[in-house]
Amino acid sequence: MTALRTAALAAALAGLLAAHAAAQDPRLERLDPDTRAAVAALVDSARQSGVPAEALIDRALEGAAKQAPEPRIVAAVTTLLGNLREARAALGASTTAPELQAGASAIHLGVPAAALTRLRAVRPRQPLTIALSVMADLTARGVPADSAAAAVLALAGSLRDDQFLAFRRNVERDIELGAPAAAAASSSVRLGAGAFTTDAGSSGSARPLRRP
Amino acid sequence: MFEHDDDMLTDVTARVAASLKAAVRLDPALDARVMAQVATLPAHRPGGPLGRAWTWLRRPRTVALSPLAGLAAAAGVAAIVFVAARFGSTAATPPAGGDRTPVEFLLVAPRAASVMLVGDFNDWTASATPLHTAAAGGLWAVTVPLAPGRYRYAFVVDGKRWQPDPSAPPAPDDEFGSPSSVVTVGGSL
Repeated sequence: MTALRTAALAAALAGLLAAHAAAQDPRLERLDPDTRAAVAALVDSARQSGVPAEALIDRALEGAAKQAPEPRIVAAVTTLLGNLREARAALGASTTAPELQAGASAIHLGVPAAALTRLRAVRPRQPLTIALSVMADLTARGVPADSAAAAVLALAGSLRDDQFLAFRRNVERDIELGAPAAAAASSSVRLGAGAFTTDAGSSGSARPLRRP
Repeated sequence: MFEHDDDMLTDVTARVAASLKAAVRLDPALDARVMAQVATLPAHRPGGPLGRAWTWLRRPRTVALSPLAGLAAAAGVAAIVFVAARFGSTAATPPAGGDRTPVEFLLVAPRAASVMLVGDFNDWTASATPLHTAAAGGLWAVTVPLAPGRYRYAFVVDGKRWQPDPSAPPAPDDEFGSPSSVVTVGGSL
């Protein structure tokens, strides 16, 4: 009976270890052990609170690929988790993972969480990924966060996603031509929805191809 | 009167106790007779192989197992669970289905010998998505099907030089020392 009890105990222990290994994403094996443990804890925390963990894993893998030091990877993942949580609180529990990621980027750049809540109220039944991404992208291009949020909110009721991308391209072009970022955003808003065509929507070299 | 009744009760009790204490003598042939009767009764067996299997499965038994064998069995179970989790995971696989949009990534790098695309969509694996050059002028290109979402990415030129996409929005944070770019794929592109 002692042997049987020992075997049962060993099986339970092994089961716990196996469950822990299964819960940890195998891609995290690229990280050194200390970083892996810290990131795994953050991923667990994200899963428990209903925040998509995939973005955290991606950020950690980006840091590992760029050979960033451990504290920087852990700090980046921690910050992202905080931003994702704030985005979810602002956008609502039913927000999709891409929306949360875009919202977290906007918040990270200084867009007020209240702007995300207002955007959800303006477009209650439409995906917000593109609108939130444009908010973040404009801010990353130098448009003040409040101005970027105000511009997107002003157009949110009338622009489709493809028009939003065209709007962003319009602002980027004006900035490249030397216009102050905030002025470029506000002047593009004044153009109105009719000024933004689908063809001008793709920005940068990463271009969605048209389906046949 | 009460004393007489008490004496009589004591006597009866003593006789009953003596009778109960007396050894019972059984007929030596009793066992044989009982077993012979049992042998004549119809056997109670479940019908068919399924019934026998069910009976076999339900029959309690004691299993003697050394701690070493127990650990070996547990390790086997753990290995099966681990392998299933590792190779059954779909986290690294882009979502299948018709909602993915082909996205073309371009980089002009006339002097490059190789250009790789790395990003959230390929787990930042430098060897996963090479760009191809077919035209003069060093234009490198690759098309990747992407589900709706916001992705960070960068190019790795000649296996060592990280470069963001010069004409795409920059990733908002540059905490790893080399900047990335962002592409957003939406549902109504």
